[in-house]
Amino acid sequence: MNYDVLVVGGGIAGMESALNLGDMGYKVLLVEKEPSIGGKMILLSKVFPTLDCASCISTPKMAGTSHHPNITMMVHSEPESIVPREDGRFQVRVRNHTNYVNPSACTGCGECTLACTVASPDQYNADLVLKRAAHIPFPQAVPKKAVIERAGTSPCSFACPAGVKAHGYIALVRAGRYDEAFALHLEDAPLVGSLSRACYAPCEGNCTRGGLEAPLSIRGVKRFLADNYYAAHPEPEYGPVEKRSGKKIAVVGSGPAGLSAAYFLAKEGHDVTILEAAPAPGGMLRYGIPAYRLPREVLDRDIKNVTALGVTIQVNQRVKSVKTLLQGGFDSVFLSVGTRESQKLRVPGEDLEGVIGCMEFLSAANAGQIASLKDKSVIVIGGGNSAIDPARLALRLGAAKVTILYRRTRSEMPAHDWEVQAALEEGVHLAELRSPLQFRGESGRLQGLEAQQMRLGEPDASGRRKPVPVDGAIETIPADLAIVSIGLKPSTAGFAAELACQKNGRLEVNDQTLETSVSGIFAGGDAVTGPSMIVQAIGQGHRAAFYINHYLQGNDLASQVFNDRLPAVNKEEVLIREQGATLRPRASLHEMAPAERVRGIVEVEQGFTEEQARAEASRCLDCGVCSECSACVRACPSSAIDLSLRDREIEVDVGAVVMASGFKLFNARAKKSLGYGRFPNVIDAMQMDRIIAPTRPYNSVLRPSDGKVPDNIAYVLCTGSRDCTLDNRLCSRVCCMYSLKQAQLIMGAVPLADITIYFIDIRAFGKGYEEFYQQARDMGVSFVKGKVAQIDQEENGNLSLTYEDIEGGGGRRKASHDLVVLSVGLLANPVSAGLFASGQLGLDPFSYVREPEEDLEPGRTNIPGVFVAGTAAGIRDIPDTILHSGAAAAQTAAYLQSMRSRV
Amino acid sequence: MSEEHSGRSGPRILVFSTNSISDPGIDLAGSAHMHYQPGVVTIPVPCSSGIRPTWVLHAIEAGFDGVFIAADGTDCALVPDCTKRTGKIVDAAQKLLKEHGHDPRRLKMAAICSVCAESFVSHMEKLSTDLERLNS
Repeated sequence: MNYDVLVVGGGIAGMESALNLGDMGYKVLLVEKEPSIGGKMILLSKVFPTLDCASCISTPKMAGTSHHPNITMMVHSEPESIVPREDGRFQVRVRNHTNYVNPSACTGCGECTLACTVASPDQYNADLVLKRAAHIPFPQAVPKKAVIERAGTSPCSFACPAGVKAHGYIALVRAGRYDEAFALHLEDAPLVGSLSRACYAPCEGNCTRGGLEAPLSIRGVKRFLADNYYAAHPEPEYGPVEKRSGKKIAVVGSGPAGLSAAYFLAKEGHDVTILEAAPAPGGMLRYGIPAYRLPREVLDRDIKNVTALGVTIQVNQRVKSVKTLLQGGFDSVFLSVGTRESQKLRVPGEDLEGVIGCMEFLSAANAGQIASLKDKSVIVIGGGNSAIDPARLALRLGAAKVTILYRRTRSEMPAHDWEVQAALEEGVHLAELRSPLQFRGESGRLQGLEAQQMRLGEPDASGRRKPVPVDGAIETIPADLAIVSIGLKPSTAGFAAELACQKNGRLEVNDQTLETSVSGIFAGGDAVTGPSMIVQAIGQGHRAAFYINHYLQGNDLASQVFNDRLPAVNKEEVLIREQGATLRPRASLHEMAPAERVRGIVEVEQGFTEEQARAEASRCLDCGVCSECSACVRACPSSAIDLSLRDREIEVDVGAVVMASGFKLFNARAKKSLGYGRFPNVIDAMQMDRIIAPTRPYNSVLRPSDGKVPDNIAYVLCTGSRDCTLDNRLCSRVCCMYSLKQAQLIMGAVPLADITIYFIDIRAFGKGYEEFYQQARDMGVSFVKGKVAQIDQEENGNLSLTYEDIEGGGGRRKASHDLVVLSVGLLANPVSAGLFASGQLGLDPFSYVREPEEDLEPGRTNIPGVFVAGTAAGIRDIPDTILHSGAAAAQTAAYLQSMRSRV
Repeated sequence: MSEEHSGRSGPRILVFSTNSISDPGIDLAGSAHMHYQPGVVTIPVPCSSGIRPTWVLHAIEAGFDGVFIAADGTDCALVPDCTKRTGKIVDAAQKLLKEHGHDPRRLKMAAICSVCAESFVSHMEKLSTDLERLNS
């Protein structure tokens, strides 16, 4: 793309230069970093010395710039590099930041802002009030398009292996929109109830609030929204998708991976049949996890989310050959047979009656086939989650004694610590440092286990200390039932002949697409990864469905990207931002007392009440700002919002460059003695300008600490300017005048207020400026010549100023005011030079863009073809900025003409 | 008469707009600094169905190259069938133009709503191009 001029910056200088050059007939590209042009000027109240409304005089320029036939505006964009070329032109790379909104569809109606569930500080109102993550920058924005503020993916959502948008549903519950929260969860994972009971919640482990007092009970909030929805909707509210694809898919295995794949495939209009070997669907959810953790009613209701889409589940169907499925009319197959086989110890006596694998025990118990273990003595061998569940279940079935045997110590057990804790509380015994040698029996029946005592030796390859036998220490532990829970194996033996398998029986698949060695057959879940967590299996099912869908359309799989997310937010940055947060205790899900729990197979955990759920959700820090709840997407009448949009890089070729990158306001926190940032009623002049602007944040002039209308206001001039201690000895030229302006406006807004201006000098040098100063005096503004050395806070939020009284007899004085406004200075914008190669664009000693012949050739920089307009070259007020921009435009035009006539 | 250009660039177009609906839309084009032909002049009237066909003939014979009626479509609160009514005026006016030896394509009508600034600007562009072709 080719333009005559690139104007960097859409403030008053940039707009004026662009309009001048556009009127002359040159093609201008105006690049502005904010989502709207207007710069700082559009945010002001009035301007000096005329007291014209800032909006009234700049909006015609903004509209003119937007609609000029020769000006192309690129907002929310920044040039990243400007490289001068040999032919005198410039190669520019521009980065366009996406609003996540399609600009040609957005009408600026604002419906999205009403639906948004996240609030964040309003940077266009000097952080005085909040705005929503989905926002229109300000009412006069040009172009008036919505912007979704996103800092990245929130850590909780990013941690979820299934990509469930935890931040999104937390934000919706916080807003009381529970049904929408449920629907959002369904977008990423259909088994909401099961996850709410049994997920290991990696989101909570990654929650930024964990760095304050405690992470959010995200799973608890999920449980509330699931229970709430299911109580009101015993059946799903939807049926099969209308548009059918005509494709048939077989899913082998109805565990979490299979159910998830079936759900997402059915949503695409495919006909899905799940073939399940067991008598009932659910896989590990039904036969692995006991009902005291995951009640059957919850699982059954979850499964309805899938079958309501028209998915059929055929039980008691063991699949022997996948290839015959393909030949039998299915267009694709997803294998999710899980790890249903227990690994054997391979010690003598393992085939005795009474020795059982953990999966066989759990399946039988969860199917109701084991009536009672009364008076029985049970040993469970193993230390993972697959050992804890059988142990706790055995207790509930009435076992007299349950012992877990583990060859290392408790701290090395791979099971979740809270599960081990729960088991011990309920009365399970833990025999550490014991390794099974053989099972002893009589007449084919188990009598006891011979176990070797161990001690911890040197660490092995995995880093864990290797257990070493203690010579001679062997004991026999009596037992009626021994459950072997040392690991699970995938049930893939039957498919080894048809598909590539790894040595441990796990199916081999392409990591990205989950396709097996046979085209059209995909696999996922534990059968591929080995024993994992429910949410990981669900994620695999979703991924497989995505790629199967593309496979059925004949698309190349490798080039499709599944689940493209923004990078995770940096938690440290969030914690710094949220330093002022009030600490509140975490609501934990209540558990029944251990003695109560083992009485029967009843759900141990109790869910949150509505108040608890909303209060817990309110602790969310909104790390990524936008929560991805998609409420805005649904609210938009023209479907303009698209969260999958991304930044773009654009290369342009321009004939000349005008730097109009403006200035930076001095951050008064750097002047510690004045208390900005520590005392709420010390504000800076930009904040005061917003308070009195026409589109003001409050209805009147208020002070921050208590909302009182101030009646004794102090202005401290030269804050950050003429100050060697802050390395800025320059005068900022506009502060005296803008302080006089604000003082006059405040006297109009709050007629009873007393205003005192503490000054070193009053610089009123321009046309009409001295009269403006006299006008302020005549209105009754007090002037005190003396630098303010320090500001202290008094009890009621008032401030005590220590100042030097030069004209009133000298000496140090104190004065009390209820609001202090710091007239902050203007500094150079550090961005300007960085666009060129290091050292290429000349800067003056104060970091402004240097004009080598400032007096005779204003606007020219040291680089031919690069010009500067406005405060980027040095502080100036608005009338002088307009003049300077005209000069820069003239210089640019002359340069362009000279380049043309060269040829 | 339509051959007489007053030295201005582009054709002279007389626009009849309605006070409540289309004129605010046309005014918005101006206040948004949108660029359209300088030869466009607007007369707002209370209702486009009150425009007399003889006014259109008079405008062409007085020197305008074209006439554009900015009607209200379905936006008018008082009359739901503005398009039908104004369409009848247009038919009669075009007949009148033909009888007097003028090209009936010099008269155009379209619905312009109260925020249709961009739509108005594109209508003016199209009409100007058509008129330039007719004049050449």
